[in-house]
Order: sequence, then structure tokens, then C-alpha cells
Amino acid sequence: MIAIIAWRNVWRNKGRSLVVIGAMVIGIWALTFAGGFMQSFLTSYIQSAIRHETSNGQVHHPEFTQDYDIQYYIKDYQSILGFLKQTHAVEFVTTRSLVNGMISSSRQATGVKIIGINPEEEAKVTELNTLISEGAYFEGISSNPVLIGDKLAEKLKVNVRSKVVLTFQDMEGNITAGSFKVAGILDASSVAISESSAYVLKSDLNRLLNIGDNIHEIAYTTVVGTDDEALAKKIQSNFESDKVESWKEISPALVFMEQMMAATLKILIIIIMSALAFGIVNTMLMAVLERIRELGMLMALGMKRAKVFLMIMVETIYLSTVGGPVGLFIGYATVSYLGKVGIDLTDYSEGLEAIGYNSILYPLLQPMDYIQIMIGIILTAFLASIYPAWKAIKLKPIDALHTI
Amino acid sequence: MSTIIKATNVSKVYHKTTIPVHAVNNLTLSIEEGEFTAIVGPSGCGKTTLLNILGGLDQPTEGKVEVGGIDISNMKDSELIDFRLRNIGFVFQAYNLIPVLTALENVEFIMLLQKRSKKERYDRAMELLEQMDISDKANSKPSQLSGGQQQRVAVARALASKPRFILADEPTANLDSTSTSNLLDLMAKMNKEQKATFVFSTHDQRVMDKARRIVTLEDGTIVSDVKR
Repeated sequence: MIAIIAWRNVWRNKGRSLVVIGAMVIGIWALTFAGGFMQSFLTSYIQSAIRHETSNGQVHHPEFTQDYDIQYYIKDYQSILGFLKQTHAVEFVTTRSLVNGMISSSRQATGVKIIGINPEEEAKVTELNTLISEGAYFEGISSNPVLIGDKLAEKLKVNVRSKVVLTFQDMEGNITAGSFKVAGILDASSVAISESSAYVLKSDLNRLLNIGDNIHEIAYTTVVGTDDEALAKKIQSNFESDKVESWKEISPALVFMEQMMAATLKILIIIIMSALAFGIVNTMLMAVLERIRELGMLMALGMKRAKVFLMIMVETIYLSTVGGPVGLFIGYATVSYLGKVGIDLTDYSEGLEAIGYNSILYPLLQPMDYIQIMIGIILTAFLASIYPAWKAIKLKPIDALHTI
Repeated sequence: MSTIIKATNVSKVYHKTTIPVHAVNNLTLSIEEGEFTAIVGPSGCGKTTLLNILGGLDQPTEGKVEVGGIDISNMKDSELIDFRLRNIGFVFQAYNLIPVLTALENVEFIMLLQKRSKKERYDRAMELLEQMDISDKANSKPSQLSGGQQQRVAVARALASKPRFILADEPTANLDSTSTSNLLDLMAKMNKEQKATFVFSTHDQRVMDKARRIVTLEDGTIVSDVKR
């Protein structure tokens, strides 16, 4: 009966209740959409970073990543490649040889990370070919082609087909140099790619380094939904003498961004729920003050204060939670729809891409995010109900009965 | 007949201003089972205060109130709520029905608080509504009932909990003469047939005419107590 009375009480003043419920619907929808939109930025950035820079995981000699000493190549990389190719979660694999050196043009010289790649494999793993803004992806240059970033090209004052010289130490510690021709210029948001990387054919670099077929890095991508950390651990357990890292270990900054975004969503939930809670409390206080005599009568007849408290709480929770699921559903529908068709921000594409985001964003919320919002709604309803209910039971029946 | 209510040397002093106001002043009164008593007197004589004290809604500054031999003067608030639920029926001047419940649900509500079974609640509520000649409005909300009809539902609600006695504070004050007459006839019938004990506070001569005992107050003190 208390539940029935509380429910009917909610609808005593339909207009007022509908305003509160409407505010809840819009608030929760806005929260869900804002969360999904924020998540789309993060996802875009992380996916871009994984796709073009870190890949889902990498394998190195344990000493190699400390100072990129070329003598620390992966000893038995063929076994690792065999294992990765047999692992269903692994989508594409590529191998690289790496060395730090200098790149110089006739006008400028600067430090650079020289990456020897297999163009076909690399295109599958990092989609490096998609970043070409000028020239071609290792085409049009018959000997020693090199790809460099647009910022680096600008710095060196070179164009496609310009000559550059790469200088570095070989396996024996001798300074060696090679003349390369710019085959293509890469336009990437990543500073590492655009300013400080030079991509050459692995065969050309290995020849100059004098390391034969050896490699320093294996990078792999995984199929959607793979737990990259778990997979890295699994590979690591099979190849203990090498170092296997997921993208989270390779780039802690991405993990930090992920954590920041989760924290931001929580803060957003707290802010919106607090604003809604004040609205709910205000409405319920009005409802209590309007019914002082009625509440006094209930207590005079013998309704215990705990039950009066419960009745007002249930009433507040009804008022709060009717709009919550509706707002959440509309938010879910909005996020799902826009998650498929995307939000086109091409008007801002230059700025977005400059900082590593795509110009089309796909809002996304994880099930846990919806659960968090739902918990937020329930918690808000519960907390907002306490004060009006407390006000109600503070009434003295004899005083309340004589209230006009 | 046994004594249901016994108020002994009861006083109630309010300190709303610097001068204390004796709303009830050293009053002693007994109400027997089955009585149909009207407490009358001019405005401000202490009728409502006395009723509130007898009903456990207010506590006396001095003196003792016993209901069925139990001293309620010093009961805790939570004990009083439970005591009222099981022993006292109330009829208010402004009806005070729960607006979101139907007439039937209003009568059932008090029994729900007493944790009676659904069937018992329904049967008794319908029986009382029939006795109060308002069963045809069982499914109507208070807003759909006239003042007289609402007050009849309120009396049915007061009787539903099977209280030891019913306190009615100016029950006819808001009713027209026909509704007043009908209500008084029904309450008198309940008093006679069900031995329900009624204690009214009233200004209404028609209520006084129906009462079998009239207690007259002045300045918080009984100045006459006439049984008829």
C-alpha cells in the first residue's frame, strides 16, 4: 500500500512531476551522450596511436629498448613469428630493424630514428601507406627509397625525390652512411612519425648495418576484442628470453589518458547527478510542505515515522528513477546510432587531425559505463530522498494537523 | 460498564507568550465504555486540547491519563503512535482522508497498518461503508465525494481499527444540516449497535441534542457534566 500511495502521490501534481522527470530524462541523456562523445575522442586517439605507432603489441630483445643498441636483435625471431601466425587473436605481424642516427640534406641535419621495414607487412600492421601525402609508398625510386614525415621534410627542406643521407653506427661500431632518395612524405598527427622517423627498406638498412636478416622489433595487431595484456603475457610465457609488451606497457601515456577519461566520466556523472538531485529535493520538499496536514494525520492515525519516512523515500525514488531509465535508453540509442554512422567533424578536421584525432568520431560507451550511470541514478534517487523524508518525520502530528 | 478513559488532575500549560496559558486546568474526567459524550464550551475553553490529550496526540503538563488502565501520559512518541493505532479512532473536522486513495482504500488503510489480512480488510471496510450508507462510493476518491460523504468515510475509517473509543473533533463543523443529521444518526446507530464509544468536541447544538452526556468546559475546567 505504501508503494501504491507513493506512486499515486507522484502523480498528484502531474505538471511538477513531469518537469522533474523531463529534467532527469534530458540530464541522463546528455550525460550518456557526453560520455559517449568523450569516449569517441579517446578511442580515436588510442586507436590511431595503436594503429600507426605502437601496434597492439611488440617484441624486442630485453636490452634493446634501453638505448636502442643494434647488437640486441631478437635471436630466434622466426619461432616467434611462427607462434604469432598460429595465434588466432593475432591479425597481422611485421618485423623491423631499428637504429638511431642522423639524417641530413644539403641544407640541414637532425637526429632521427631509422626504421627498416617490409613495406607490405608494414602497410597491414601500421597502415603506413595511408599516411602518404606526397610521392608514393616505396614506389618510383629504384634504389634506397626513404619515407619521412612532413615536419622532418620541412625541417630538412627536402621534397619527393630529394636526396638525403642517413648516418649511423653499424654492427662493428663503424660510422656508416647511405644515400637515400625521398620516395614519399608522411602526413601524420604523431610527432614521432612526422618529425623524427625515417622509414627505409629493411633489406637496405640491414645491409648497411651488416646484421644479415636479423631484426630488432616484431610488431603485431590483434583482432577486435582481444585482451592485449593477456595475449602479451601468453607470448611472453612462451619466449621468456625476449621482452613482449602490450600497447599499455609500450605507451603508459595512453593508459593514463584512458584512466583520465574514466575519471572525467565519473566527475561528469557526479556533477549532473548533483544538479538533478537538487531539483528532486526541491520538488519533494514542496510536496512534503504541501502535505503537512496529511502527513500529520497519518502519524496521528498510527502510521509509524519509519513508514512515513519510507513512503516519502519511495515517492522520491519513483520520481527520480522513472526518468532515469528513459534517459539512459534514449542516450543508449543515440550513442549506438552515432556509433555506427559517426559524427562528422570535417569542418574541424585540420585541428583535430593535428592533435591525433579523426575527423569522424564514433561515440561509444562500454556496458560498465552504463552500469556506472545507472548506479549514479539509483544513488542520486536514494540520497535525494533522505532530506525530504527526514523533514516529513520531524513533523509533530498535533502541529501538522492544525496547519492550514 | 467499564471505564475506558480516566483523566486525573490533568493540566496543560502553554508558554507561547510570557504569560502561561492554562488550556486545561486540573481537570478530572472519566469516560465509560459505550458512552456518546459531547465536550462543549466556548472557543478557547480547551476542548480540542483535552481531546488531543485524551487521544495521545499531546501530553499533559501535569496529571495522568489512563486508557483502558494504561497510563499514556508519559509514553514515548513511538509508543504513542502504536497505542493510537490499536486503541483510538479519530474523526477530524476537515475529514483528512488520504486524497490518492479511494473510499474503500482509505478505510482499509488503517487495518493495513494493523497488519490485518487482505480479505479481512476488504470485508470489514465494505461492511463499514455499507453501515455508513456509502458503499456505492467505495471506489470514489475523496475529491469525488461531498463533505458529508467524506466524513462518513472518515467515521468508517475510525471504526475500522476496532478502537476502544473514537475521538471526533468538531466532526460536523464543515457539514450542512442534512449531512450533519445523517452523520449523527449513523454515529448514534454505531454507538447503539456496536457499543462504539464516541467523544466529540462540538459547538453544534444538533450534536449536543444527540449526545447522552454533555461535559461543559470553561477556561480549561469542567463546569458541568450532565448525563441523559
